[in-house]
Amino acid sequence: MLTPEELERYERQILIEGFGEEGQEKLKQAKVFVAGAGGLGSPASIYLIAAGVGTMRIVDHDRVELSNLNRQVLHWDEDMGKTKIDSASDKLKRLNQNVKIEAIEETITEKNVSQLVAGFNLIVDAMDNLPTRYILNKAAIENNLPFFHGAVYGFEGRATTIIPGETACLKCLYHGVLPGEKFPVIGVTPAVIACIQATEVIKYIVGIGELLTNRLLIFDGLGMKFTEFKVKRDPDCEHCGHLITRG
Amino acid sequence: MGIKIHIDSLLSDYTNNQRTAEVKGDTVSECLQHLAEQFPELIPFTKEGKLLVYQDFYLGVFVNGEIVYPKEMDKPVKNGDELSLILMVGGG
Repeated sequence: MLTPEELERYERQILIEGFGEEGQEKLKQAKVFVAGAGGLGSPASIYLIAAGVGTMRIVDHDRVELSNLNRQVLHWDEDMGKTKIDSASDKLKRLNQNVKIEAIEETITEKNVSQLVAGFNLIVDAMDNLPTRYILNKAAIENNLPFFHGAVYGFEGRATTIIPGETACLKCLYHGVLPGEKFPVIGVTPAVIACIQATEVIKYIVGIGELLTNRLLIFDGLGMKFTEFKVKRDPDCEHCGHLITRG
Repeated sequence: MGIKIHIDSLLSDYTNNQRTAEVKGDTVSECLQHLAEQFPELIPFTKEGKLLVYQDFYLGVFVNGEIVYPKEMDKPVKNGDELSLILMVGGG
């Protein structure tokens, strides 16, 4: 049940056709897992918390460094040296006191991932490396959790939404490895991609619109173009190939 | 009318800033091979002389906007088809 304060806070989105108080109540009940409190995780979590997601667990293992501040907008000058989790948790709680924030300082591994995502409704992939993304993708498949992928490089980004057993998963699309070098990026790129991820999460929870499933969206910031490619499940995918397509 | 390949902006450093090229071939694999021959700077993305798509590196290829997986590299292509080559990225 929404309180009078919540009805006022979320008034403008409740006005959206198909959203309503029912949609807002769904957001309030939702439990969202955000992997990473960096370039993608900052804007994704800000917009999800502002929208009224009821519970968020956000996991990161880093501390705030000066070179993070061009893009990781949850972290400010005053946070240098703090854990990203403390910095993120502080800002998100100040943004919206109605929501529950669980901030966990942890490295996501094959061993702990199932425990970390247990009890949550979906995963936002806001990681900065492909090996951990694979770990999360596999956990999403095994736990039947929708997986909202975003990735960036320079002025370019990619996003797709994965529904286990129904759509192509990350491992269907990505077969290789990426070099572990420091990648170039400007803050606006993860902002664009994270907002697409957050939009998808909100649509999924509320149950409106058309999800970015079986589609890979490419953002080219320099050319200012969005290009969409059709993707499909790989029956031989080592993560999701064993699942029988439902529906 | 030939076969056109669109090149991701992240790869254009390796193709003299060209974002499109004409390629020849009867299959996806042959077209990619022809692209690599035209742009030797794509060599970092090759292994044993072949332009890699996914297996050991991180390129994605699409034909007429639809993904082509590594095992489908022998997929036939025809004049008028449009290929896209993109760099898969993992930053966040």
